Amino acid sequence: MMPDITQQGLPSTQAAAVTAPVVYFNGVSKSYGRIHALSDITIGLSGGVTGILGMNGAGKSTLFKLLMGKLRPSAGEVKIFGMDPWKNPTPYAHVGFVPEHEKMHDWMTALDFVSTFARLHGMTRSEAETEAKRVLNFVGLGDVMNKEIGRFSKGMRQRTKIAHALVNDPKLIVLDEPLQGCDPLARTTIMNVIRELGKLGRTVLVSSHILSEIERITEQIIILHQGKLVALGNLHAIRERLDEIPHTIRIVGEDARALAKDILTHPAVFGVSFPNDTELLIQTYHFGKMHSELPRLIVENNHKVSIIDNPDDDLESLLHYLAGGTSS
Amino acid sequence: MTPDDLPSRWSGMDRKALAIGEFTLRQQRKRLSTWVVLLVGMAAMGVLTMFYIDAMTRDYEAIDNDGDSYDWDLDGYPNGQERLYGTDVFDPFDHPGILDPSVQPDDRSVWINEDDFDWDALEEGSFGYDDNGDCLERNATASQKDANQNGVPCDILIQLDPYSLGESYEIISDGNVDEDPDDEAYALEAIHRSFVLAIGKLGVVFLIGIFVPLFMATGLIRNEMVSGTMHFMIAKPIARGEVFLYRMLGFYALAWVYLTVLIALLALVAGFVGPGEGLYRFDDLGVWFSVWLASIMAVTVYGMLFCSLGVMWKHGMVLALPFAAWELGMVLTTLGAPETSILRFSVIGWAMNVVDAGAAIAWSDTPLIIQMGLWGGGGGSLEGAEALNLFWSTPGLGLGALGTIVMSLFVLLFQAAACWLLGSVLFKSKEIE
Repeated sequence: MMPDITQQGLPSTQAAAVTAPVVYFNGVSKSYGRIHALSDITIGLSGGVTGILGMNGAGKSTLFKLLMGKLRPSAGEVKIFGMDPWKNPTPYAHVGFVPEHEKMHDWMTALDFVSTFARLHGMTRSEAETEAKRVLNFVGLGDVMNKEIGRFSKGMRQRTKIAHALVNDPKLIVLDEPLQGCDPLARTTIMNVIRELGKLGRTVLVSSHILSEIERITEQIIILHQGKLVALGNLHAIRERLDEIPHTIRIVGEDARALAKDILTHPAVFGVSFPNDTELLIQTYHFGKMHSELPRLIVENNHKVSIIDNPDDDLESLLHYLAGGTSS
Repeated sequence: MTPDDLPSRWSGMDRKALAIGEFTLRQQRKRLSTWVVLLVGMAAMGVLTMFYIDAMTRDYEAIDNDGDSYDWDLDGYPNGQERLYGTDVFDPFDHPGILDPSVQPDDRSVWINEDDFDWDALEEGSFGYDDNGDCLERNATASQKDANQNGVPCDILIQLDPYSLGESYEIISDGNVDEDPDDEAYALEAIHRSFVLAIGKLGVVFLIGIFVPLFMATGLIRNEMVSGTMHFMIAKPIARGEVFLYRMLGFYALAWVYLTVLIALLALVAGFVGPGEGLYRFDDLGVWFSVWLASIMAVTVYGMLFCSLGVMWKHGMVLALPFAAWELGMVLTTLGAPETSILRFSVIGWAMNVVDAGAAIAWSDTPLIIQMGLWGGGGGSLEGAEALNLFWSTPGLGLGALGTIVMSLFVLLFQAAACWLLGSVLFKSKEIE
């Protein structure tokens, strides 16, 4: 028997399920007393990988917890496959969730952990074991699946959590900070897994507070800041807007002043400064263009350069720009 | 998504129940605290059993309850023998030896424990039998031999105490009838029954019944919520009320088996060590069974309640402790005043009803044994009688023993279901960080 989610005495949920987006937030707010963790969020998502970007405390986890029925919205409605997750756990049959909490059941082996929780999807013991082995191989833990989780590295633990979330072959996968604390190898593996899931046509939501991480996974992003939705869409489109804003590039080389002389001739540069003899800061309005031409400038003039980076090309600066400020 | 894609909420329920129950069991097994709690419980019961074994294997001094083994005039004849033959107990020259034919003096021990109880029921009527003839064959008048004036010489008259409200009996003896019972036999039987009732009611049903859930069930949901591992469990197509119930089932699997083993061990030891003609006291099994039933129900209700309190507040233990104190007060009340209606507002009152009613069926002669011991032949209570009187209670429901058991089990089941409902509602409305 299906629970009648329409509450209209209709025998099936077909009508609601076919047209509804996978994830739907409509004017959702969540506050704890006077603190507004999320204000008036409206998003509808179906298919592909979406990155949720935001500083710590921006409301990413709150958003996910609302989606996973762990929190009840203060206002607005949350729907997952057209159903209210706070009232009805049925849609979770098609959802995989990777919580951000570090604590796991350390006494279990990875296979135990994944297969035990797979059984909560209604699988039999042997089905669960088969599926658990499949997903553990998928995340690259096939050879250590009989080891206790307590002896795993951070990256292996994250991958175990991801495997646990994939075991029911979900249509929607929600990953809360899956890359946090992982070593570079685990990071690459996890990013590949997420991209792979996107290619398979799943709806994937992945949160992070590091812009470069999200950039390597997806172009479709949502930026949250202080509980508000500040940007939604293609990362390149957002970046192009940033090109109009002054940007800083930092170069460390043998002779910063000689380098500056050559670079100043470029039309995109409108200012340079020298924090010390080997370091050069370039101010530019055309960030993308500058980056594509810098290597040529350096090589042509025979400069020796050890570092090129963008001190303000992190989420903090991005948010600063989006909020209407200028480069610091 | 078609309806076929969505699993019904009811399909695979047993699979989920088994998965969570099994997980909970394994999780408990991995915790040191589980073993500490269970072993401390075992050890505590073990220590009490040691005291019991000591009481059973000790020698009880045969007491001359009526004082007739003394020889006041030092003529070599105990007072009892002199009274039997009608000679003067204060005159050294008047003794059965000067009678014709001459009577040899009895050994003093003949007049100790010489007249055991010969009653078979605690009801109004004439009972008792003068085993050694020191009433029947005594040189006395018929009216002297019928001091209680019921028309039967040398008997014991049991009648309802006209001044008591309940069924309290008065014992009036003709004198020298059942007056010097076997102290050791009585003490062993009374202490054995006291032990079974005391360890069953206070030890297993109350202490184990409340402390095992207190330490093991309070955190079943709460700990998972605090540590964040609950996210793995509830991000699944499973209702929270189900998670709550299945977690409890995992706990019950452990607690019920533990109680069964513990009670079986106690029944085994007490059955072999206890007094009796056979090798094993099979008569006690009814009492042990009722202790088992009561303790299973007690952990069931307490477990649900404490787990709910843990969901209600992360310091659920703080809420559970005043409740445990209330229950302690109630358990003491059941000993003194089992018919008090305030006991209806406790869990333990109902659990105790089950044990009391079970004991009333298995040991229906206990009220008689208590009265015999308290009367003690007329010379003060026998060892063990006071203890048995303390731990024995007549269940106060007025439904008869079997009716009391059925009613109490029903109420306990209802309490467990109500606590589960409370816990499920609390858990369902709980936002989880």
